[in-house]
Amino acid sequence: MPAVTPGDVDLPQSTSHDRTRALNQFLASVELKAFRIAQIALRQEDDALDVVQDAMLQLARAYGERPEEEWKPLFYRILENRIRDVQRRRMVRNRVMAWLPFRRNEEDEELPDPIEQAASPEPQPVMQLELEQAMATLEKAIGELPNRQRQAFLLRTMEGLDVAQTAAAMGCSAGSVKTHYFRALQTLRAQLGDLWQ
Amino acid sequence: MTADEARTKEFEQRAGAMLGDSVTRVNGRVRSRLNQARQAAVAEIAAGRRSFWRGPALMPATGAVAAAALVALLVTAHYRAERTLPSADGQAFDDIEMLADTEGLDLLENEGTFYEWAAGQSDEGNSDGTSG
Repeated sequence: MPAVTPGDVDLPQSTSHDRTRALNQFLASVELKAFRIAQIALRQEDDALDVVQDAMLQLARAYGERPEEEWKPLFYRILENRIRDVQRRRMVRNRVMAWLPFRRNEEDEELPDPIEQAASPEPQPVMQLELEQAMATLEKAIGELPNRQRQAFLLRTMEGLDVAQTAAAMGCSAGSVKTHYFRALQTLRAQLGDLWQ
Repeated sequence: MTADEARTKEFEQRAGAMLGDSVTRVNGRVRSRLNQARQAAVAEIAAGRRSFWRGPALMPATGAVAAAALVALLVTAHYRAERTLPSADGQAFDDIEMLADTEGLDLLENEGTFYEWAAGQSDEGNSDGTSG
């Protein structure tokens, strides 16, 4: 049995405190990007918040003790799994709803709140409006990409992961990441290129 | 770098800048909820290795198992009580016992003797009752 020194007594508490702080810092650094990634994929704010919250909790519970450098790919993998879960649930719900004779119009459900959408009384700068329109077009185009392409594009472009980190987050090879990313770029350029020139 | 590669690079940078800008414009309500979610996640790790059964994810399952066990216990207890308690008039069970009893066969073999004995018992009972 190794000799116990006075300093050893405080070590577990100190380590636990450090990890708590490290996790807090890590989550704070990714939460906004993670939210936007989820929002672009799901096109629904509350669903996006839910999946980010789930991913945070899952990371803390299951991988909180893992080395910090593993957190980012793990977190984004969990996040993507949660996004897929929501997409699957929606698909099932839509299939079920399609059989119901008294179903409500899906488009009616997704109509935005008219009060929230009301134009601001203050004149909106033209630049800002153009930027928002361009962003909306980009988001829509990214949201329509196949899942793997969307994931590769957002992790690389928005989160700034390199190929190896993206591969770890996506659970695939670096070659696959390059392929998905390249195809995503080609598709987006084909759709938006003219608008953006 | 070819002209097409340059355009792709430019597109990539512009898309990245726009997406990055969109992150900074996330509204206050979302930021607040994200902050709460982060605090909850941090509290999870701060609590250390919590009891397996007390994990929030398992609490509904644990509750369901406990409820199922309680229902099973009640049903079993009720079933056993029904089996051990006599029926409404208490005769059904007695009848089965009598039919299953091998002594009944002995009675059939000595049927005449039995009826004589039974008649005598009845008479004795009556005489006792009237004489007392």
